[in-house]
Amino acid sequence: MPKQEEDRILREWTPILLRSILIAAMILLVAGLVMTYTFAPDYFVQRYHEARQGHLIGRERFATLPDRIRAGNPHAVLTIGLFVLTLVPLARVAFCFILFIRERDYTYVALTAYVLAGLIVGVLVGSVG
Amino acid sequence: MLEILINLFALSIGAGFIGAISGLGGGVFIVPALIIFAHMPMKVAVGASLISVVATSAGASVAFVRDGWTNLKVAMVLECATVTGAVIGAYLAGVVPTVVLELLFAAMMLQSAYFTVTKRGDDILTRGDPLAERLELSGDVPDLSGTPVHYEVVKVPQGGALMVVAGLMSGLLGIGSGALKVMAMDYIMHLPLKVSSATSNFMIGVTAGAGALVFLARGDVATTIAAPVAIGVTAGALTGSRVLPHIRVEYLRTVFVIILLLIAAEMGWRALSGI
Repeated sequence: MPKQEEDRILREWTPILLRSILIAAMILLVAGLVMTYTFAPDYFVQRYHEARQGHLIGRERFATLPDRIRAGNPHAVLTIGLFVLTLVPLARVAFCFILFIRERDYTYVALTAYVLAGLIVGVLVGSVG
Repeated sequence: MLEILINLFALSIGAGFIGAISGLGGGVFIVPALIIFAHMPMKVAVGASLISVVATSAGASVAFVRDGWTNLKVAMVLECATVTGAVIGAYLAGVVPTVVLELLFAAMMLQSAYFTVTKRGDDILTRGDPLAERLELSGDVPDLSGTPVHYEVVKVPQGGALMVVAGLMSGLLGIGSGALKVMAMDYIMHLPLKVSSATSNFMIGVTAGAGALVFLARGDVATTIAAPVAIGVTAGALTGSRVLPHIRVEYLRTVFVIILLLIAAEMGWRALSGI
Protein backbone atom coordinates (compact mmCIF):
# COMPACT_ATOMS: atom_id res chain seq x y z
CA MET A 1 0.00 0.00 0.00
CA PRO A 2 1.56 3.39 -0.97
CA LYS A 3 2.31 5.84 1.89
CA GLN A 4 -0.23 8.38 0.62
CA GLU A 5 -2.96 5.74 0.63
CA GLU A 6 -2.04 4.77 4.20
CA ASP A 7 -2.18 8.45 5.24
CA ARG A 8 -5.55 8.88 3.52
CA ILE A 9 -7.02 5.86 5.34
CA LEU A 10 -5.70 7.13 8.69
CA ARG A 11 -7.08 10.66 8.14
CA GLU A 12 -10.43 9.38 6.88
CA TRP A 13 -11.12 6.62 9.41
CA THR A 14 -9.51 7.95 12.60
CA PRO A 15 -12.06 10.83 12.98
CA ILE A 16 -14.95 8.42 12.25
CA LEU A 17 -13.66 6.02 14.92
CA LEU A 18 -13.11 8.78 17.47
CA ARG A 19 -16.51 10.39 16.88
CA SER A 20 -18.48 7.10 16.88
CA ILE A 21 -17.08 5.85 20.20
CA LEU A 22 -17.34 9.31 21.76
CA ILE A 23 -21.04 9.57 20.79
CA ALA A 24 -21.72 6.03 22.07
CA ALA A 25 -20.05 6.85 25.41
CA MET A 26 -21.95 10.14 25.75
CA ILE A 27 -25.29 8.39 25.04
CA LEU A 28 -24.49 5.81 27.76
CA LEU A 29 -23.49 8.52 30.24
CA VAL A 30 -26.61 10.63 29.61
CA ALA A 31 -28.82 7.49 29.78
CA GLY A 32 -27.09 6.45 33.02
CA LEU A 33 -27.67 9.87 34.59
CA VAL A 34 -31.35 9.92 33.52
CA MET A 35 -31.80 6.38 34.93
CA THR A 36 -30.08 7.36 38.17
CA TYR A 37 -32.21 10.52 38.46
CA THR A 38 -35.36 8.45 37.87
CA PHE A 39 -34.67 5.30 39.88
CA ALA A 40 -31.90 5.99 42.40
CA PRO A 41 -31.47 9.71 43.20
CA ASP A 42 -30.78 9.02 46.89
CA TYR A 43 -28.04 6.54 46.03
CA PHE A 44 -26.46 9.19 43.77
CA VAL A 45 -26.45 11.77 46.57
CA GLN A 46 -25.04 9.21 49.03
CA ARG A 47 -22.23 8.25 46.61
CA TYR A 48 -21.52 11.92 45.92
CA HIS A 49 -21.01 12.66 49.62
CA GLU A 50 -18.92 9.50 50.05
CA ALA A 51 -16.71 10.67 47.18
CA ARG A 52 -16.33 14.03 48.91
CA GLN A 53 -15.04 12.17 51.97
CA GLY A 54 -12.60 10.31 49.69
CA HIS A 55 -14.32 6.93 50.17
CA LEU A 56 -13.84 5.31 46.79
CA ILE A 57 -11.38 2.49 46.79
CA GLY A 58 -12.76 -0.71 45.36
CA ARG A 59 -16.35 0.53 45.16
CA GLU A 60 -16.60 0.75 41.41
CA ARG A 61 -14.12 -1.81 40.12
CA PHE A 62 -14.57 -3.52 36.74
CA ALA A 63 -14.78 -6.87 38.55
CA THR A 64 -18.03 -5.92 40.30
CA LEU A 65 -19.63 -4.61 37.09
CA PRO A 66 -21.47 -7.80 35.90
CA ASP A 67 -23.10 -8.24 39.34
CA ARG A 68 -24.20 -4.61 39.41
CA ILE A 69 -25.64 -4.84 35.88
CA ARG A 70 -27.60 -7.96 36.87
CA ALA A 71 -28.87 -6.08 39.93
CA GLY A 72 -30.21 -3.32 37.63
CA ASN A 73 -27.93 -0.69 39.16
CA PRO A 74 -28.12 2.52 37.05
CA HIS A 75 -24.57 3.31 38.18
CA ALA A 76 -23.38 0.28 36.23
CA VAL A 77 -24.55 2.07 33.06
CA LEU A 78 -22.48 5.11 34.07
CA THR A 79 -19.45 2.89 34.71
CA ILE A 80 -19.87 1.25 31.28
CA GLY A 81 -20.14 4.74 29.71
CA LEU A 82 -16.88 5.82 31.37
CA PHE A 83 -15.22 2.56 30.33
CA VAL A 84 -16.33 3.01 26.69
CA LEU A 85 -14.93 6.54 26.81
CA THR A 86 -11.51 5.27 27.86
CA LEU A 87 -11.69 2.78 24.99
CA VAL A 88 -11.52 5.68 22.49
CA PRO A 89 -7.69 5.90 22.51
CA LEU A 90 -7.32 2.10 22.80
CA ALA A 91 -9.49 1.56 19.70
CA ARG A 92 -7.65 4.26 17.76
CA VAL A 93 -4.20 2.76 18.52
CA ALA A 94 -5.51 -0.76 17.73
CA PHE A 95 -6.79 0.52 14.37
CA CYS A 96 -3.34 2.00 13.53
CA PHE A 97 -1.65 -1.23 14.69
CA ILE A 98 -3.76 -3.34 12.28
CA LEU A 99 -3.20 -0.87 9.44
CA PHE A 100 0.59 -0.95 9.92
CA ILE A 101 0.57 -4.77 10.00
CA ARG A 102 -1.30 -4.78 6.68
CA GLU A 103 1.24 -2.37 5.25
CA ARG A 104 4.18 -4.29 6.77
CA ASP A 105 5.57 -1.12 8.29
CA TYR A 106 7.24 -3.00 11.14
CA THR A 107 8.77 0.04 12.87
CA TYR A 108 5.29 1.46 13.42
CA VAL A 109 3.85 -1.98 14.21
CA ALA A 110 6.38 -2.13 17.08
CA LEU A 111 5.64 1.44 18.22
CA THR A 112 1.84 1.02 18.24
CA ALA A 113 2.21 -2.43 19.89
CA TYR A 114 4.21 -0.73 22.67
CA VAL A 115 1.48 1.88 23.19
CA LEU A 116 -1.24 -0.82 23.21
CA ALA A 117 0.79 -2.85 25.70
CA GLY A 118 1.18 0.28 27.84
CA LEU A 119 -2.59 0.80 27.93
CA ILE A 120 -3.16 -2.86 28.87
CA VAL A 121 -0.41 -2.69 31.52
CA GLY A 122 -2.31 0.35 32.88
CA VAL A 123 -5.38 -1.83 33.51
CA LEU A 124 -3.23 -4.50 35.17
CA VAL A 125 -1.38 -1.96 37.33
CA GLY A 126 -4.72 -0.49 38.44
CA SER A 127 -6.18 -3.94 39.13
CA VAL A 128 -3.41 -4.89 41.53
CA GLY A 129 -3.68 -1.53 43.29
CA MET B 1 -29.58 15.31 43.16
CA LEU B 2 -30.60 17.95 40.65
CA GLU B 3 -28.74 20.66 42.57
CA ILE B 4 -25.55 18.56 42.65
CA LEU B 5 -25.83 17.84 38.94
CA ILE B 6 -26.37 21.52 38.07
CA ASN B 7 -23.31 22.51 40.14
CA LEU B 8 -21.11 19.84 38.53
CA PHE B 9 -22.34 20.74 35.03
CA ALA B 10 -21.74 24.47 35.65
CA LEU B 11 -18.17 23.85 36.88
CA SER B 12 -17.29 21.43 34.11
CA ILE B 13 -18.86 23.40 31.25
CA GLY B 14 -16.96 26.49 32.46
CA ALA B 15 -13.68 24.53 32.76
CA GLY B 16 -14.12 22.95 29.31
CA PHE B 17 -14.94 26.32 27.74
CA ILE B 18 -11.93 28.16 29.23
CA GLY B 19 -9.71 25.16 28.48
CA ALA B 20 -10.71 25.26 24.81
CA ILE B 21 -10.33 29.00 24.24
CA SER B 22 -7.03 29.17 26.16
CA GLY B 23 -5.67 26.11 24.33
CA LEU B 24 -4.62 24.58 27.66
CA GLY B 25 -7.35 21.90 27.84
CA GLY B 26 -10.13 21.29 30.34
CA GLY B 27 -8.08 19.27 32.84
CA VAL B 28 -6.02 22.27 33.93
CA PHE B 29 -9.22 24.02 35.07
CA ILE B 30 -11.56 21.19 36.13
CA VAL B 31 -9.16 19.71 38.71
CA PRO B 32 -8.84 22.96 40.74
CA ALA B 33 -12.55 23.76 40.14
CA LEU B 34 -13.58 20.43 41.71
CA ILE B 35 -11.13 20.85 44.59
CA ILE B 36 -11.83 24.51 45.38
CA PHE B 37 -15.55 24.87 44.59
CA ALA B 38 -16.93 21.32 44.98
CA HIS B 39 -14.59 20.48 47.90
CA MET B 40 -13.53 17.19 46.32
CA PRO B 41 -10.36 15.36 47.41
CA MET B 42 -7.49 15.72 44.91
CA LYS B 43 -7.60 12.03 43.87
CA VAL B 44 -11.34 12.18 43.06
CA ALA B 45 -10.79 15.32 40.98
CA VAL B 46 -7.83 13.73 39.14
CA GLY B 47 -9.80 10.55 38.27
CA ALA B 48 -12.78 12.51 36.95
CA SER B 49 -10.57 14.92 35.05
CA LEU B 50 -8.54 12.19 33.30
CA ILE B 51 -11.72 10.73 31.82
CA SER B 52 -13.05 14.11 30.70
CA VAL B 53 -9.69 14.89 29.06
CA VAL B 54 -10.00 11.71 26.95
CA ALA B 55 -13.40 12.95 25.74
CA THR B 56 -12.26 16.48 24.86
CA SER B 57 -9.16 15.18 23.08
CA ALA B 58 -11.29 12.87 20.93
CA GLY B 59 -13.81 15.63 20.16
CA ALA B 60 -11.22 18.24 19.21
CA SER B 61 -9.02 15.81 17.26
CA VAL B 62 -11.73 14.97 14.73
CA ALA B 63 -11.34 18.22 12.77
CA PHE B 64 -7.55 18.52 13.28
CA VAL B 65 -6.90 15.00 11.89
CA ARG B 66 -9.36 15.36 9.00
CA ASP B 67 -7.90 18.73 7.95
CA GLY B 68 -4.31 17.45 8.09
CA TRP B 69 -2.97 19.56 10.98
CA THR B 70 -2.12 16.55 13.16
CA ASN B 71 1.19 14.80 12.45
CA LEU B 72 0.01 11.25 13.12
CA LYS B 73 3.46 9.64 12.93
CA VAL B 74 5.02 12.10 15.38
CA ALA B 75 2.08 11.37 17.69
CA MET B 76 2.57 7.61 17.44
CA VAL B 77 6.31 7.86 18.18
CA LEU B 78 5.90 10.22 21.14
CA GLU B 79 2.90 8.33 22.57
CA CYS B 80 5.35 5.54 23.53
CA ALA B 81 6.96 8.07 25.90
CA THR B 82 3.74 9.64 27.22
CA VAL B 83 2.05 6.26 27.89
CA THR B 84 5.07 5.09 29.88
CA GLY B 85 5.01 8.26 31.95
CA ALA B 86 1.21 8.23 32.37
CA VAL B 87 1.00 4.64 33.68
CA ILE B 88 3.83 5.30 36.17
CA GLY B 89 2.24 8.63 37.14
CA ALA B 90 -1.25 7.17 37.64
CA TYR B 91 0.22 4.36 39.76
CA LEU B 92 2.18 6.88 41.86
CA ALA B 93 -0.96 9.04 42.26
CA GLY B 94 -2.32 6.25 44.46
CA VAL B 95 0.65 6.41 46.84
CA VAL B 96 2.08 9.95 46.66
CA PRO B 97 0.88 12.27 49.47
CA THR B 98 -1.68 14.89 48.43
CA VAL B 99 0.62 17.71 49.52
CA VAL B 100 3.17 16.66 46.88
CA LEU B 101 0.44 16.48 44.20
CA GLU B 102 -0.77 19.97 45.12
CA LEU B 103 2.75 21.40 44.90
CA LEU B 104 3.32 19.68 41.54
CA PHE B 105 -0.01 21.04 40.31
CA ALA B 106 1.02 24.57 41.32
CA ALA B 107 4.32 24.08 39.45
CA MET B 108 2.49 22.88 36.33
CA MET B 109 0.21 25.95 36.46
CA LEU B 110 3.30 28.19 36.55
CA GLN B 111 4.71 26.28 33.56
CA SER B 112 1.42 26.75 31.67
CA ALA B 113 1.43 30.47 32.50
CA TYR B 114 5.04 30.75 31.27
CA PHE B 115 4.10 28.90 28.08
CA THR B 116 1.07 31.19 27.52
CA VAL B 117 3.28 34.28 27.84
CA THR B 118 6.21 33.06 25.77
CA LYS B 119 4.33 31.32 22.92
CA ARG B 120 6.43 32.08 19.86
CA GLY B 121 6.21 31.91 16.07
CA ASP B 122 7.24 29.02 13.85
CA ASP B 123 10.89 28.14 13.26
CA ILE B 124 10.53 25.71 10.35
CA LEU B 125 13.52 23.53 9.45
CA THR B 126 14.22 22.27 5.93
CA ARG B 127 16.50 19.47 7.06
CA GLY B 128 15.70 16.84 9.68
CA ASP B 129 18.03 14.60 11.65
CA PRO B 130 18.65 10.96 10.60
CA LEU B 131 16.32 9.36 13.17
CA ALA B 132 13.41 11.66 12.24
CA GLU B 133 14.03 10.93 8.55
CA ARG B 134 14.12 7.18 9.20
CA LEU B 135 10.79 7.44 11.03
CA GLU B 136 9.38 9.64 8.19
CA LEU B 137 8.23 12.33 10.60
CA SER B 138 8.35 15.30 8.22
CA GLY B 139 5.13 16.85 6.94
CA ASP B 140 3.45 19.72 5.14
CA VAL B 141 1.52 22.58 6.63
CA PRO B 142 -0.41 25.30 4.77
CA ASP B 143 0.89 28.88 5.27
CA LEU B 144 -1.38 31.95 5.50
CA SER B 145 -2.02 31.88 1.74
CA GLY B 146 -2.82 28.16 1.85
CA THR B 147 0.39 27.11 0.08
CA PRO B 148 1.85 23.90 1.59
CA VAL B 149 5.14 24.47 3.44
CA HIS B 150 7.34 21.44 4.09
CA TYR B 151 8.79 21.02 7.58
CA GLU B 152 11.35 18.61 8.99
CA VAL B 153 11.73 17.31 12.53
CA VAL B 154 14.80 17.05 14.81
CA LYS B 155 15.79 15.86 18.31
CA VAL B 156 13.23 13.06 18.70
CA PRO B 157 14.91 11.50 21.80
CA GLN B 158 15.06 14.86 23.61
CA GLY B 159 11.41 15.56 22.74
CA GLY B 160 10.54 12.03 23.89
CA ALA B 161 12.29 12.57 27.24
CA LEU B 162 10.12 15.65 27.92
CA MET B 163 7.08 13.61 26.84
CA VAL B 164 7.79 11.05 29.59
CA VAL B 165 7.62 13.94 32.07
CA ALA B 166 4.39 15.21 30.41
CA GLY B 167 2.86 11.71 30.74
CA LEU B 168 3.99 11.46 34.36
CA MET B 169 2.33 14.79 35.21
CA SER B 170 -0.81 13.76 33.33
CA GLY B 171 -1.18 10.52 35.30
CA LEU B 172 -0.35 12.20 38.62
CA LEU B 173 -2.43 15.35 38.22
CA GLY B 174 -5.26 14.45 35.82
CA ILE B 175 -4.31 17.06 33.24
CA GLY B 176 -3.47 16.63 29.55
CA SER B 177 -0.06 18.35 29.99
CA GLY B 178 -0.71 20.07 26.66
CA ALA B 179 1.51 23.06 27.45
CA LEU B 180 4.48 20.73 28.13
CA LYS B 181 3.77 18.63 25.04
CA VAL B 182 3.53 21.66 22.74
CA MET B 183 6.78 23.04 24.22
CA ALA B 184 8.54 19.74 23.51
CA MET B 185 7.34 19.65 19.89
CA ASP B 186 7.62 23.36 19.12
CA TYR B 187 10.76 24.41 21.04
CA ILE B 188 12.79 21.17 20.87
CA MET B 189 11.62 19.27 17.77
CA HIS B 190 10.83 22.39 15.71
CA LEU B 191 7.36 21.40 14.52
CA PRO B 192 5.18 24.39 13.48
CA LEU B 193 3.11 25.70 16.42
CA LYS B 194 -0.29 24.77 14.99
CA VAL B 195 0.93 21.26 14.11
CA SER B 196 2.36 20.95 17.64
CA SER B 197 -0.98 22.03 19.18
CA ALA B 198 -3.05 19.67 16.99
CA THR B 199 -0.64 16.75 17.55
CA SER B 200 -0.53 17.41 21.30
CA ASN B 201 -4.34 17.42 21.42
CA PHE B 202 -4.42 14.09 19.59
CA MET B 203 -1.81 12.51 21.90
CA ILE B 204 -3.57 13.73 25.05
CA GLY B 205 -6.31 11.11 24.45
CA VAL B 206 -3.86 8.23 24.74
CA THR B 207 -1.91 9.82 27.61
CA ALA B 208 -5.01 10.57 29.68
CA GLY B 209 -6.58 7.26 28.58
CA ALA B 210 -3.62 5.32 30.02
CA GLY B 211 -3.97 7.17 33.32
CA ALA B 212 -7.77 6.83 33.31
CA LEU B 213 -7.54 3.05 32.82
CA VAL B 214 -5.28 2.76 35.89
CA PHE B 215 -7.75 4.83 37.95
CA LEU B 216 -10.81 2.93 36.64
CA ALA B 217 -9.26 -0.50 37.18
CA ARG B 218 -8.20 0.53 40.71
CA GLY B 219 -11.76 1.65 41.52
CA ASP B 220 -10.58 5.23 42.04
CA VAL B 221 -13.14 6.89 39.75
CA ALA B 222 -16.32 8.21 41.36
CA THR B 223 -18.94 7.69 38.65
CA THR B 224 -21.25 10.24 40.28
CA ILE B 225 -18.58 12.90 39.71
CA ALA B 226 -16.86 11.63 36.55
CA ALA B 227 -20.01 11.10 34.45
CA PRO B 228 -21.48 14.64 34.68
CA VAL B 229 -17.96 16.13 34.54
CA ALA B 230 -17.13 14.24 31.32
CA ILE B 231 -20.39 15.41 29.69
CA GLY B 232 -19.97 18.99 30.94
CA VAL B 233 -16.31 19.42 30.00
CA THR B 234 -16.99 18.00 26.52
CA ALA B 235 -19.97 20.34 26.01
CA GLY B 236 -17.93 23.31 27.27
CA ALA B 237 -14.96 22.43 25.05
CA LEU B 238 -17.15 22.02 21.95
CA THR B 239 -18.81 25.40 22.64
CA GLY B 240 -15.38 26.98 23.21
CA SER B 241 -14.01 25.63 19.94
CA ARG B 242 -17.08 27.03 18.10
CA VAL B 243 -16.64 30.47 19.71
CA LEU B 244 -12.84 30.51 19.31
CA PRO B 245 -12.71 31.75 15.67
CA HIS B 246 -14.91 34.76 16.59
CA ILE B 247 -12.95 36.12 19.56
CA ARG B 248 -9.58 37.89 19.85
CA VAL B 249 -7.76 35.40 22.07
CA GLU B 250 -4.64 37.62 22.40
CA TYR B 251 -6.65 40.08 24.53
CA LEU B 252 -7.65 37.22 26.83
CA ARG B 253 -4.08 35.97 27.28
CA THR B 254 -3.52 38.19 30.34
CA VAL B 255 -6.77 36.86 31.88
CA PHE B 256 -5.63 33.24 31.34
CA VAL B 257 -2.23 33.98 32.92
CA ILE B 258 -3.92 35.61 35.95
CA ILE B 259 -6.27 32.59 36.35
CA LEU B 260 -3.30 30.18 36.13
CA LEU B 261 -1.31 32.18 38.68
CA LEU B 262 -4.31 32.29 41.04
CA ILE B 263 -4.74 28.50 40.73
CA ALA B 264 -0.98 28.03 41.36
CA ALA B 265 -1.20 30.27 44.45
CA GLU B 266 -4.32 28.49 45.77
CA MET B 267 -2.88 24.99 45.25
CA GLY B 268 0.49 26.03 46.70
CA TRP B 269 -1.27 27.57 49.71
CA ARG B 270 -3.35 24.38 50.23
CA ALA B 271 -0.17 22.27 50.16
CA LEU B 272 1.75 24.48 52.55
CA SER B 273 -1.09 25.21 54.98
CA GLY B 274 -2.35 21.60 55.00
CA ILE B 275 -5.99 22.45 54.15
